[in-house]
Amino acid sequence: MLLMLIRRVLLGLVTVCIVSLIIFAGVEILPGDACTQFLGEYQADDELLAQCRKDLDLNRPAIDRFAEWAGGAMTGDLGLAVDGKTKISLIVGDRLQNSLLLALCAMGIGVPLALMLGVITGLWRDRMPDLIGSTLAIFAMTIPEFVSATLLILIFSIWLGWLPGIVLTSASAPAAEFFPEILLPVIVLSLVMCAHIMRMVRSSVIEVMAGDYIQMATLKGVPYWPMVFRHALPNALLPAINVVALTIAWLLGGVVVIEVVFNYPGLGRLMIDSISDRDLPVVQSIALIVASVYVCVNLAADLLTMLANPKLRTMYTRK
Amino acid sequence: MKKWLIASAMTAALVGTSAIAAPSGTFKQAHEYGYGDKSSLDPASRGRVMQITEKLMSRLIRPDMKGSPSPDLATSWSANGAATEWTMKLRTGVKFHDGSAFDAGDVIYTFNRVLNPENKSPARSAIKMIEKMEAIDSATVKFSLSTPFADMPLQLMDYRLRIIPEGSGDSIATSGIGTGPFKLVSFDAAGVTKLQANMDYWEGAPGVAKMEIIGIGDGQARMQALLGGQIDFENTVTNQQKPMFASSNKFKMMEVPTGNWRGLVFRTDVAPFTDVRVRQAVRMAADREDLVKLIMGGAASIACDTPVKPDDQYRADIKCPQDIAGAKKLLSDAGYPNGIDVDVYVATLEPTWPILAEAYQQQAAKAGIRVTIKQVPSDGYWKDTWMQKSVSATRWNERPADSALHEIYLSTAKWNESYYKDADFDAMLAKARRELNFEKRKALYVGAQEHLYETTGTLIPYHVSKLYVMNSRVSGIDAVENHTIRWNKVTVK
Repeated sequence: MLLMLIRRVLLGLVTVCIVSLIIFAGVEILPGDACTQFLGEYQADDELLAQCRKDLDLNRPAIDRFAEWAGGAMTGDLGLAVDGKTKISLIVGDRLQNSLLLALCAMGIGVPLALMLGVITGLWRDRMPDLIGSTLAIFAMTIPEFVSATLLILIFSIWLGWLPGIVLTSASAPAAEFFPEILLPVIVLSLVMCAHIMRMVRSSVIEVMAGDYIQMATLKGVPYWPMVFRHALPNALLPAINVVALTIAWLLGGVVVIEVVFNYPGLGRLMIDSISDRDLPVVQSIALIVASVYVCVNLAADLLTMLANPKLRTMYTRK
Repeated sequence: MKKWLIASAMTAALVGTSAIAAPSGTFKQAHEYGYGDKSSLDPASRGRVMQITEKLMSRLIRPDMKGSPSPDLATSWSANGAATEWTMKLRTGVKFHDGSAFDAGDVIYTFNRVLNPENKSPARSAIKMIEKMEAIDSATVKFSLSTPFADMPLQLMDYRLRIIPEGSGDSIATSGIGTGPFKLVSFDAAGVTKLQANMDYWEGAPGVAKMEIIGIGDGQARMQALLGGQIDFENTVTNQQKPMFASSNKFKMMEVPTGNWRGLVFRTDVAPFTDVRVRQAVRMAADREDLVKLIMGGAASIACDTPVKPDDQYRADIKCPQDIAGAKKLLSDAGYPNGIDVDVYVATLEPTWPILAEAYQQQAAKAGIRVTIKQVPSDGYWKDTWMQKSVSATRWNERPADSALHEIYLSTAKWNESYYKDADFDAMLAKARRELNFEKRKALYVGAQEHLYETTGTLIPYHVSKLYVMNSRVSGIDAVENHTIRWNKVTVK
């Protein structure tokens, strides 16, 4: 068990390193740099450009700059943005909090709703509740989130005028100030994640309910509802842990499209802004954070599944 | 008695207006957050957020509703006979937002800061002819120029030349102190920047009590904010988005002519365009009226290859209908009786370029000009295509007549995109700058544009109009470009 944990952590570190490298190379390959972006490509003076590159220290080889950033990042210091003045931890900190807030709200609504709907559609398989639920889920999954976002804005903020359409709160504002602006993005995110988790739970419930031991319990005369809650659901919900974890990682990774459509000041929008500013150190730092979150959440999910499932637990211990 | 009655009636009227004029409500506007974390309140810096600085700070001279110079912080101005020395009388009793008094020292400080090459201000080119500045007294400044410049007041109207308090250079980027109708409460470029009415504004207290200028980078998000009533005013609405607002009584719309243009550049130093007859022919073949309808849905005004904006005082009145027979004749006179083949380079960088190229292709075909459209990537367009290929699409934003003619066509201009070299044209411009008599100066600029129309390689079919869309609760927005709007006159219900 411990060995497995160490191996997973090491693998995770390797993943994070590779992701950092790929992102760095990707942004470096894009035409233009921080200076051409800022000065404007076509009226930039050669002299101004040269001066700007000197000021921002962009003339060193890319490898050098990456090594310096990576060295700092390893000791927990994300360093300075490309302007050489602003601390990245300051910029990213606020944004990370905002993305967390968005993710927590979406999870708070989405996960319980998805589990409930999944169980209901699973138990009432092929009957009305299932038909309605499953059809809606397929819609929620297949409509791209920017379309559903635009639709919801059209209905709730433009036609009905109930909710503000986009977020106008500053990145550094306290969480409470994001209400009620945060509601629409939360609803869109909950819809998408809810559909995914619900379908997973539904099929798992169906599978478990057809299992031998459920039939046995039924035959032995265990009443339906106690049986569902005591015997079926604990087993049926296990596989959902991984889907929930993946969804959480997706949410924390900065849901770029949603954040841009709603002008939400989270990690995703910061990522887009930094890429268009060619602010490599910031892009790198966000990629590092997102990759680490992915690795950690997945690891946590695997551990949880293992703890809950004796079969898996003993399999690893024997090795 | 009668006199007294009139006087009291006037007082009553005055009291009445001042009662109405108590500032109220909040006006909300977006900015594009185009300079990212380099956004600044320093009006002369590259990262200036224009939507904010135009409300915080004033210029010496501002454009009136027709674009002609009118007093702002300067009340009057005059030049010596050679147009090399300009004396400005300054407004007295004006206070900066921090309470300090405005005087000649602030003007000299502001301009010196812009002129200092180390500060890399993009506004420097507008006033680089200023050689020396001198405070005659606290309310009079004298500018000595290195070259005669009859239209110095036009240069001082540049939207970046806003006066800041003496010695505030290091703090202005965040303090935003000026003499404008609104003062800064808090600055947050990525979020909400809050302003409040400056009750001491020299033109009187403004109409709205508060302004919020909000950074919204995404164009679609800005539209949604406008539709949902989260912002009150937007000037980046495209022609395609017009129908969203046109049918609703929640919004008001205004079409504002600008000097911004898109066109095609035929390099005058590359055959066959070295022959002036070919250059005339390729422009004659264009049906500009049709182009305005096809590409801009009517929201543009026809230009006859002059870069000078339609309502500029120096705009030449030229007619340029399509003339297929004339174009054919010119081509055959130039030795191309069977027409010519032209590769036109465009990119989607400017969404209307490909449409322009296609419409032109159809029109020019009738005159035997066979256009092949080459679409290239937007990234690197200005470096690898523009000014490199013999025919490419271009676009320019508006500038005063003198700057436009100089920056795009003077033989020595850095961005002379058509490689246009014409000694007569250069001479006309130089003479115009020296001419102090307005009518004579106008004749020279008009002459230069007419000469340009005869010889240029640049097809400028139209100047685009900007669409202003505002919530119907807003009134008092002038139908002029952003930085000329008198923001103090705006009111909200």
